[in-house]
Amino acid sequence: MKRPIKLRINGRDVEVWIEPDDLLLDVLRERLSLTGARRGCETSYCGACSVIIGNKIVHSCLVLAISAQGQEITTIEGLAENGQLHPLQEAFIRHGSFQCGYCTPGMILAAKALLNSNPHPTEEEIKRSLDGNLCRCTGYQKIIQAIAATSEGRV
Amino acid sequence: MTPGFKVIGKSFPRVDSQEIVTGRVVFGVDVSLPGMVYGKVLRSPIPHGRIVRLDVSEAERLPGVVAVVTAKDVPANRYGFALKDETVFTLDKVRCIGDAIGAVAAEDPKSAEKALGHIHVEYEDLPAVYDLEEALREDAPLVHPEMTSYDTVRLLRGAWHPIAGTNMVHRAEFRKGEVEKGFQEADYVFEDTFRSSQVHHCYIEPHAVVAKAERDRITVWSCTQQPFPVRSSLAEIFGLPESKIHVITTKVGGGFGGKIAPRLEPYAVALSMKCGRPVKIVMTRTEEFTASAGSAPAIVTVKTGVKKDGRLVAREMNLIYDTGAYAEGLPPSNRALKDSPGPYNVPHIKITSSLVYTNKLRATPFRGLGVPEATWAAESQMDIIAHKMGIDPFEFRMLNALDEGDIGPNGDLVQGIQLKACLRKTAEALRWGEKMDHPNRGRAIVAIQKSPTTYGSMSGAVVSVNEDGSIQVFVGAADIGQGSDTVLCQIAAEEMGVPFEDVSITSADTASTPFDQGTFSSRVTLYTGKAVLVAAQDAKKRLKEIAAKILKVPESELEVADKCVFVMKTPETRVTFKEIVELCHTYDGVILGKGWGGAKGDWPGLAHRKDLKEVVPGWKYGAQGVEVEVDSETGVVKVLRLVSVHDVGRALNPLAVEGQIEGGAIMGMSYALFEELIYDQGKITNPTFMDYKIPTAMEIPQIISIVLEEPLPVGPFGAKGIGESSLLGVAPAIASAVYDAVGVRIMDLPLKPERILAALEEKRG
Repeated sequence: MKRPIKLRINGRDVEVWIEPDDLLLDVLRERLSLTGARRGCETSYCGACSVIIGNKIVHSCLVLAISAQGQEITTIEGLAENGQLHPLQEAFIRHGSFQCGYCTPGMILAAKALLNSNPHPTEEEIKRSLDGNLCRCTGYQKIIQAIAATSEGRV
Repeated sequence: MTPGFKVIGKSFPRVDSQEIVTGRVVFGVDVSLPGMVYGKVLRSPIPHGRIVRLDVSEAERLPGVVAVVTAKDVPANRYGFALKDETVFTLDKVRCIGDAIGAVAAEDPKSAEKALGHIHVEYEDLPAVYDLEEALREDAPLVHPEMTSYDTVRLLRGAWHPIAGTNMVHRAEFRKGEVEKGFQEADYVFEDTFRSSQVHHCYIEPHAVVAKAERDRITVWSCTQQPFPVRSSLAEIFGLPESKIHVITTKVGGGFGGKIAPRLEPYAVALSMKCGRPVKIVMTRTEEFTASAGSAPAIVTVKTGVKKDGRLVAREMNLIYDTGAYAEGLPPSNRALKDSPGPYNVPHIKITSSLVYTNKLRATPFRGLGVPEATWAAESQMDIIAHKMGIDPFEFRMLNALDEGDIGPNGDLVQGIQLKACLRKTAEALRWGEKMDHPNRGRAIVAIQKSPTTYGSMSGAVVSVNEDGSIQVFVGAADIGQGSDTVLCQIAAEEMGVPFEDVSITSADTASTPFDQGTFSSRVTLYTGKAVLVAAQDAKKRLKEIAAKILKVPESELEVADKCVFVMKTPETRVTFKEIVELCHTYDGVILGKGWGGAKGDWPGLAHRKDLKEVVPGWKYGAQGVEVEVDSETGVVKVLRLVSVHDVGRALNPLAVEGQIEGGAIMGMSYALFEELIYDQGKITNPTFMDYKIPTAMEIPQIISIVLEEPLPVGPFGAKGIGESSLLGVAPAIASAVYDAVGVRIMDLPLKPERILAALEEKRG
């Protein structure tokens, strides 16, 4: 049975009718047209579906939408403010940190969650924060460089 | 930045940067149309068998189901990306697990998935064959008994040689000199056999397609690398003119060869034709691993004759590629004929390359097109020879390396080569010759080569000038993440004398862009780039014609810059593009430049120019090296540093070139250390990212990428391609570094811990 729930996404409350077993990823993509979170696997391994809930990076393909009620959800669509890109988004462009771009929203959000809790991470800490996000194109080096540059204010 | 250029040689950000970092870019998985329904494909659970009963009636009656299609709903026309050896749905028998038997469209994906379980199929098992060598036995079951009746696509016409009555779907040979004589002249002869594993491309975006079929027109949105060949296949299957089929490449979330062939498009079209609604199909990751395609693994035997002084005198290679149930491995097996012997002076060569059907997941081109498997063998053996002869492996390669003006192993004239410089740079970056300061650490160096596609593959481009003087580029090539749209805009901007920001591009849409063979074999920068350059020159010529009338000076005295045509002697005498186009659009037509690029072959019927050396421009050369540490307790190999040096002609966008080198290096490391599809009786047992490992950020070493520039005369602004060569040498470099570290030689990929441990134990006795 569909039921209405309230989600707080990118600073705004939205009401959406869902089935109790609907996954957050599907609700974001199919119901709210927030397609920056993407499915790349069914085993919560690739991280293309990453969003931030509260302060934590999570794989939205593993989260029931119903359980995300009452929490602050940040998707890639919520990062730019008033048309201004977030420094991480600028850094990813400047450092050539994407090729196909499919994993990019997840990567940027994983980096944001890291920098929120640890503004000046070491390279090792950056690498560790990305271990839930797969990229097949870049070899990661330029992603790590963009995050390091952002943390040092070098965007 | 290169002096003299305003746009070329600068690391402009990607033209699609904004939409990528904001997540707004539209991939195949994001396409949505009004009234759209969702398709799922029913796939064979058995590796080889006849279909004795197929009943879809129960599935058709389920709520939400709008169409069920099987072989009887679609024409039986054979199609294929290389050899036309498949039909949309299997006609009478299945040839591998994952073969498509039918498909369902329903109001939602769950209902479609559920309906698959209500299609009843009964099979009669046939004996199957999973192993290359078993498949070649005389009594082996045949995967395609009727294969000699098949046909190839245009690109492979005349390049397919099946052996009737066997599973050997293709066998070809290349000879130079007299290899037997070469071995007689040799002081030492070495022979070794190497094996590689089947890997998956693992683009993170799964295959996704939306098809909208109307009575006389089909529109398809697909994340394909090759919209034009996909259009040809659909036209052939459904019997429509190509003009009635519109294939639009969406943003492609990685391809690496895996999205080159028609895959989901025919199923989606068949479903849409039946239900009259747009149909979307997206593969699951497990479907990707078990029913799309992987690389073509090979058994490669290399026999090399060497003189006492270390000079190579003869090389004979026998490569046998496993293509699985369908022969999409044909182009890789053919490419090995040209590229296998390595970038060396070898007077006597014989290469035999075969392709074999088995009842497994099909092979398809994978970054490097068969050359990674050949390079794994050839370069591993170079290291073996160097060690056995007591020659430094770096010096051994330098001694034999091709140089400017040499004739390459395949008979092409070697031009613009920087191989020796690449080897020197790699050695320098690796601190070659310095003693290792840790036990169980080793380093190694390899040399690589990769040819571009030869004739038969063309690219077109159109360049138009808008009324405000800005530039519109139209190309048929798909940007699959490598950044071709950006680089092609740079080429147009440079040639037209306009700022980069004033150029826009429309790419890979069969109804609005000119023909392009597709994105593969590192060909887009070279060939589509050339097409854009020629089209820009054509548009520029037209601008000058009009400007000559306006300024009343001969065209020969005019040049373009800053969106103006000006008189060279008196640059202040000028007319803007805007003024020209406005006048033009009022009185004198439109400004439209056109061009093409590609290697031009001899026309059939003309005598082959045997007296001339065949020149395929744009061979890529490079050197790669690694430093590794081997844990002798666990067998785990850790790559500490990876050096990749390439001669790229000219780096049109250095940041994009670096990206290709780094990405290819890590994919190569993964190919070497982790990746293999594991089979049990034709069934892939590791079809998830949990069980099929690709690297995360945690596993990457320091990557040192170095670019050497020696402009290729025929390349656009001197450029060559780089997409594939960045992967080629990493595996043999790692295996040889393992040998350097702990003294064991691994001949089979991947270099997994149990293999290293077993070799170490054997060595200890």
